[in-house]
Amino acid sequence: MSLYSELRRRNVLKVASLYIVASLLLVWLTWVARTQLGLPHWAEEFVVVLLLVGFPVAIMFAWVYEITPSGLKKAVDVDQTQSIVFKTGQKLNAALIVTVGLGVVAMVADRLLPDLAVPPPPEPPAEPTVADVADAALGGDVPAEIVSFTLGNGLRVIVWPDEDIPNVAMYNFVRAGGRNEYPGITGLSHFFEHMMFNGTSRLEPGEFDRIMEANGGSNNAYTSKDVTVYQDWFPRSALEVIFGLESDRFANLAFVDEVVESERGVVQSERRTVVDNDNFGRLFEQMFATAFVAHPYQFPVIGWPSDIASWTKNDLEAFYRRYYAPNNCTLVVVGDVSAAEVFQLTSSYFGPIPPQTPPEPVRTVEPEQEGERRLVIETDAQTPLLHVAFHGGSATDPDTLAMELLLNVLTEGDSSRLHQRLVERDALAISVGSYQQAGFDPGLIYFYLTLAPDADPAAAEAALFEELAAAIDEGVGDAELRKAKNILLADHWRSLATIDGKAEALGEYEVFAGGYEALFERPGSVEALTADALREAAARVFERRNATIGVLRSAESTDDEDPS
Amino acid sequence: MRWQSLLPGALAATLSLLSLGEAGAQGVTLPDVSREVLDNGAVLIVNEKREVPLVGIELVLRGGGVRDLQGKSGTASLYAGLLERGAGSRSAAEFAEAIESVGGRISATAELERIRISAEFLARDFELMLSLLRDMLYAPTLAEAEFDTLRQRQINFILAAKDSDPGALMPTYAAGFLFADHPYGNPLAGSESSLASITHTDVLDYHANEVGGDRLIISLSGDIDTAHAMVRLADVFGALPAAGQSLQPLAEPLTAIDGRVLLIDKPGATQTYFWIGNLGVAVDYPERPALDIANTLFGGRFTSMLNTALRVESGLTYGARSVLIRPSKQGSLGISSFTRTDASVEAIDMALDVLGALRNEGVDEDMLRSARNYVLGLYPMRFETARQLARQFAMLEFYALGTAHVDDYADALRAVTVESVAATVDAVYPARDELVFVILGDAEVIRDDMRRYGTLYELSVADPIFRLPFEEPLSEEPTE
Repeated sequence: MSLYSELRRRNVLKVASLYIVASLLLVWLTWVARTQLGLPHWAEEFVVVLLLVGFPVAIMFAWVYEITPSGLKKAVDVDQTQSIVFKTGQKLNAALIVTVGLGVVAMVADRLLPDLAVPPPPEPPAEPTVADVADAALGGDVPAEIVSFTLGNGLRVIVWPDEDIPNVAMYNFVRAGGRNEYPGITGLSHFFEHMMFNGTSRLEPGEFDRIMEANGGSNNAYTSKDVTVYQDWFPRSALEVIFGLESDRFANLAFVDEVVESERGVVQSERRTVVDNDNFGRLFEQMFATAFVAHPYQFPVIGWPSDIASWTKNDLEAFYRRYYAPNNCTLVVVGDVSAAEVFQLTSSYFGPIPPQTPPEPVRTVEPEQEGERRLVIETDAQTPLLHVAFHGGSATDPDTLAMELLLNVLTEGDSSRLHQRLVERDALAISVGSYQQAGFDPGLIYFYLTLAPDADPAAAEAALFEELAAAIDEGVGDAELRKAKNILLADHWRSLATIDGKAEALGEYEVFAGGYEALFERPGSVEALTADALREAAARVFERRNATIGVLRSAESTDDEDPS
Repeated sequence: MRWQSLLPGALAATLSLLSLGEAGAQGVTLPDVSREVLDNGAVLIVNEKREVPLVGIELVLRGGGVRDLQGKSGTASLYAGLLERGAGSRSAAEFAEAIESVGGRISATAELERIRISAEFLARDFELMLSLLRDMLYAPTLAEAEFDTLRQRQINFILAAKDSDPGALMPTYAAGFLFADHPYGNPLAGSESSLASITHTDVLDYHANEVGGDRLIISLSGDIDTAHAMVRLADVFGALPAAGQSLQPLAEPLTAIDGRVLLIDKPGATQTYFWIGNLGVAVDYPERPALDIANTLFGGRFTSMLNTALRVESGLTYGARSVLIRPSKQGSLGISSFTRTDASVEAIDMALDVLGALRNEGVDEDMLRSARNYVLGLYPMRFETARQLARQFAMLEFYALGTAHVDDYADALRAVTVESVAATVDAVYPARDELVFVILGDAEVIRDDMRRYGTLYELSVADPIFRLPFEEPLSEEPTE
């Protein structure tokens, strides 16, 4: 009698098979339990070790003992003519079939139930090769230590190791902002930014900040018309804590009625500060509401007061499901970390979060403006304000960088054209600035002037338009262009001097320019721009029929003005 | 809720455990620098830091807003502003052009006890930066026409802030009310009224009296060879003659009179801004680590007691903080926040209750550990860039604090105990009846309510001053 046939006869092989199949099922169940119920991270390792230890014990047991009608006996003591090992074997076969069946059912359920979806294993971050870098950067100098990867659930991750200080900056860009809102829920993206700090099904409200600060970290967040961005800064010792906190709020946010109400009050206070009690904020809000008639860029990011007062928990929950999905986010980690550890942490903390159906695209395209628009706000104002905005391009518009350079020529620094003209020469303004809204959709090119107390807004407007016309008719000189390029290049280096600046820049380029590599093409792209490109960009934008002009001033100054 | 209530503790405990003891492990050790005192008294500090091709420099001149003459607050500030408006052979426009054409930055600002010129250029433009800074110190144009323009613009900026950002003016109103006629009460950028009384001659006098090698600290950090930078800086700044006047030590501020309320009227304001506090401590306060922990817990971070009560739990405000200003003499300590007009009393009373809780109940071990980790965890981020390092070294020199101020800070924080925090709170944080209140809002609506906090004094944002002339208060009414 060979050992093999005796192993078969005593059902040792069947027990071994059953043990292995049941173990696999058990490990899978533990994984599900950990990721869905928040069991500690070592739960799986613990179960695997137990099962490994148990395997030889089970085999020995199967070899030594035999089940008989009168109970368990040592195999050597059983009369072989009375043995029921065959029946036991049949039972073991049945158990094996049932276990395999359970496994199949679980796998099917796994596919059908999105909550239990197991993401396919992501590609591990490979060390970037020379070819990768050259290909990605199109000649730009992408630092070789930057690594990016995408998890199976669609979360995009970029890591830039930098050991200069023992700290880490982590940015999470969520593609949800004012442009994803509509009347009734304006301000919801921004309100959401607040709610993301207010508790999950596992952490009470306030615990997120309490744990983060107790571990030496601090955080903030901001919402724009395009995105909501969450920022954490912390010592590297807190890395795993932060991943735990961030993934928890992305998977398990709670909506408690009294917390929603309290936070509503906070946002109303914020609105009073940045809009109601701030003349700049009041005019800025009305400018967008006037310049856009169709596209949701018309809504204030903070929301209209009536919407702030009335959005509901249902609105919040729907918004969370739609936008706070891993496939709608980009995570950037910069600082004293390795790409491998960030890969491991994102995989285990963010990996289990299921993807969602991508949000519907914003369909509305702002129709072309067909004539100048004007608005006036009358209020207490010791210094009047003049804002002028033109429809421009999106972040990826070929004119956007040329316009950035041109705005630099016009308003950056005391030597800029508009400062020299309006502030120094004509003394009509006490400050002049500009900004280009370069988002997902075509935005505004925006000029904001604070006027001298007795200045005539009409005179300031005329001077501004004269300078804009000059930018079209005469273009910019070589020295001006060189200066603007130098300012942009120096700013580029300044932005890369801190881990915070690096994280923000990588994320901005990844989200808005289609790839973080574009950040490193910037110096080359800036250098390549010509004065003609600036003039053409100006000609396309600075037209009266494309302008919205807003004035904020005291009511009494209307008395001595002719209606025109 | 039942089953969930079991989990938060578990997850929180897991997350906390993961880093227990580690966050406290790091501190900051300052890099080596070269330091030299030049013959004219100027102190030179150079730190080589090669990461990005930038060089940052801080020129610090002792003096600043405290040297403004009586009734002429804002002189130092105007002087600093004029330094950017023409020097050597360059006009204001040419000077700006020279800086901006290479993407450099130079800003000159008056602070309470110094004038600070901060510059950052690409390393390749180091010599240009030096020549511009040399001209600013040796040969500023200080043209009368530029003076007139700048003075008027500074007045207009104050008007614009009163329109759009009244909260930004609260520290100025608070300092004026708290320090009265001590120089720490000077409105740094001036008031409409003080600016109007400053003449061109005042600014020329400031240059003659308050600028010199004996007042100067030069701190550089960046992508440059140390030996070369030391030689060039000594060449350029070693010949600056002494200032016309010697610096007299400042008097200690007088103990403030508590139970006073300054109400600043902004008609139609939909919210009320408030500052509640009293005198604080000087920069060399020996219990600094315990005080940093106390203030972090009280009002120095998001989960602070103040922000938790006024924002997180009640939604009364967007933010509530406690701010310590620590100059060379006794500075200030104040609670600062804002709320909607009809919640003014509720919010102020809540802030007072939180102050009472800090003084009566103190802090426990968990709070202490959390605050220590927080302060230490973020500390290295203040020493990251060349500009930050240049500034840190300049400030250490200015206050004669020594590098131990930074290098030993982590150990000092670890030595703080619950008892030492309690003792510091008791010594520094005023009791309920030792407070001064500064409140800005719609006086017509809140005036009667504010009387409960003490004797009422009033200003309006329309008044051209930030500081009451205490000899003749604009209005004085006894409490109840």
